[in-house]
Amino acid sequence: MLGTTAVGAASRAVLDVPDVEMLYVVAVLVTAVFLGRGPAVVSAAAGVVGYDWFFVPPVHTLDVSDTRYLFTFAMMFGIGLLVSSLADRARDAAVRAEAEALRGTLLSSVSHDLRTPLATITGAATALRDQAVDPETRDELVRSICDEAERLERLVANLLDMTRLSAGGVEPRRAWIPVDELVGAALSRSEAALARHRVTTEVAPDPGLVEVDPVLVGQLLQNLLENAARHTPPGTEVRVRAGRVPGGLELEVADRGPGLPPGEEERVFERFHRGGRATGQGAGLGLAIARAIAEIHGGSLLATARPGGGASFRLRLPSAGASPRVPAEGDGGTGAHG
Amino acid sequence: MDDARPLVLVVEDEPRMRRFLRASLGAEGYRVREAWTVADGLREAAAEHPDLVLLDLGLPDGDGLDLVRRLREWSAVPVVVVSARGREEEKVAALDAGADDYLPKPFGTKELLARLRVALRHARAALAPEGTVIEAGPLRMDLERHETTLHGRTVRLTPIEWRLLALLLRNAGKVLTHAQILREVWGPNATTQSHYVRVYMAELRKKLEPDPSRPRLLLTEPGVGYRVAEGTGPDPR
Repeated sequence: MLGTTAVGAASRAVLDVPDVEMLYVVAVLVTAVFLGRGPAVVSAAAGVVGYDWFFVPPVHTLDVSDTRYLFTFAMMFGIGLLVSSLADRARDAAVRAEAEALRGTLLSSVSHDLRTPLATITGAATALRDQAVDPETRDELVRSICDEAERLERLVANLLDMTRLSAGGVEPRRAWIPVDELVGAALSRSEAALARHRVTTEVAPDPGLVEVDPVLVGQLLQNLLENAARHTPPGTEVRVRAGRVPGGLELEVADRGPGLPPGEEERVFERFHRGGRATGQGAGLGLAIARAIAEIHGGSLLATARPGGGASFRLRLPSAGASPRVPAEGDGGTGAHG
Repeated sequence: MDDARPLVLVVEDEPRMRRFLRASLGAEGYRVREAWTVADGLREAAAEHPDLVLLDLGLPDGDGLDLVRRLREWSAVPVVVVSARGREEEKVAALDAGADDYLPKPFGTKELLARLRVALRHARAALAPEGTVIEAGPLRMDLERHETTLHGRTVRLTPIEWRLLALLLRNAGKVLTHAQILREVWGPNATTQSHYVRVYMAELRKKLEPDPSRPRLLLTEPGVGYRVAEGTGPDPR
C-alpha cells in the first residue's frame, strides 16, 4: 500500500494528465500487438481502474468526486477497445501475409519444377515434328522426352502425396507385416535407382512382425534409398539395417557420401530443400514426405552425420501390440503333399 | 493368318489415349476394337468375343469396375485395367472384382505389352488341360509327383507352403491380392487375415530366395498382394 502510494505520488508529480492518457493508450496498444485482443481489453479496463485509483481525487480510492470523470472513464475505455481491436486486426494481417509469402515460395518452386521438364518435352517433341533431324539426334530427343516425362510423373506423384499428407486426416492403414518384407519390397522398387551402388542389408534372420501401414512405410524407405542413391557417388555403399526393438521398429539407411554439413540435419526435411551437392534432379520432397509418414505413425525420422563419413537416416516407428498368431500346421512338413 | 491375331477391345473415353493404344497395339500385331462407354463396352464384348479387354475405369456412363463385374457373369475373357487412379485400394478393388491385371497411368508401351502377353498366356493356359509341371525361372513344381525343386535340388515344403507356392506359380507374372490368396489357400473364412499370407511368404522366401530381404522371385506389391517374377531377369520397364 505504501509502495503504490509512493508510485502514485511520484507519477502525479512527474506526469500531467494528458501524458497519463498517452501512456494508457500505448500500454493497450502494446498488449494488443503482442498478446492479442482479449488481454488488451483486460489491460484497458485495468488502466481505467488504475487511473481512478491514482489520479482521480480523492486519490487512493475508487470514489469519484465529480461525475464528469465517469465520462472520461468511458472515453478512455472506449479508446482502449478501439485500439485493441485495430491492433489485433493488423496482427492477423501480418500473420496472413507471412503464410501468403510461404505459399508464394512453394508455388514458385513447384511451377519451376513443373515447367523445366515440360520445356524439354515441348522442345524435343516440336523439334521432331517440325525439323528434319538425323537418326542420332532423333534418338537423343526421344530419350529426353521419355526421361523428362518420367521425372514429371515422379514430381506430380510427390506433390500429390505431400498435399495429401500435409492436409491432415491421413490415417495409417496398419497391418502386421514381417520387417524383412518391408525392407525387401522397398529395395526391389529402388533397384533401378541403386543399380550403381553397393547395397548391403543387415536384417535379423527372424525379425518378427510390426504393425504399420505397409504402403506408406514402403514409400518412406524407398524415398530414403533413392535419396541416398541421388546424393552419393556411384560405387559407394548404401547400408540398410532393420530390426524390432522393444515397442516398435528401428531402421537405418546409411551411406558413404559427402554427408550432411553441420546444421543441415533438420533442414534436409524441409519441403523443396535440395542438398547442395545433389547430382540428380530431385524436387526436394522425398525426405519431407518420409518424415510426414513417420510422424503420422507417431514415430520419428532423424538425420545424423555418420561416424567415418556419410549420412545416416534413422527411423523409429512404434508398434506396441503383441504379434498376432498364425495357426500352426498339423505336421512338420515334407516334400510330398497335394 | 489374320484370324490368329488376337483381338483387343479397348474401352477408353479419352480420344488421345485411344489413339496411342491403337497405334502401339496395331504395331505389335493386335487387332483393335474400340468402345468409350460401359454400355458400348459390354455390347462389343458380347458381339465380338475379344481375346482381351483393356479397360479404363473412369467412363462417362459409369465405373469400369461395374463393367468387369457384369462381364464376369458370363465371360472369362482376360481384363487388364488401365487407370489414372493409382491408389492401392483401387488396384485391390479392380483385381477383386475380377480384373486380371492393373496398370496405373501413365505407363510405357513395353510395360503395357508385357502385361497383355501375360494375361493372354494365362487365358490360353486356363483352356488347355491342366499340366502337371509348373515352372518359373529356376523353380519347378511337379504336381503329380508332389515335388518342388530349385536349381534341380529338392525343397521341402509344408502343406500350406505347397498350396501357396502352387497358386502363385500357376499365376506367374500376375498379381494376386491378399484376399484372393487367403480364399484359395486358407478358405473363404480367412480373407481378412492378411498376416497369414505375409508370414508364410516370409517362410517361402527363406527356402527359395538366396537373400530373402532382396527377393528376386517372390515379389511384394505393397498394399496389394504378391506376384511371382516371370523368367529370371529383372522386369523390363
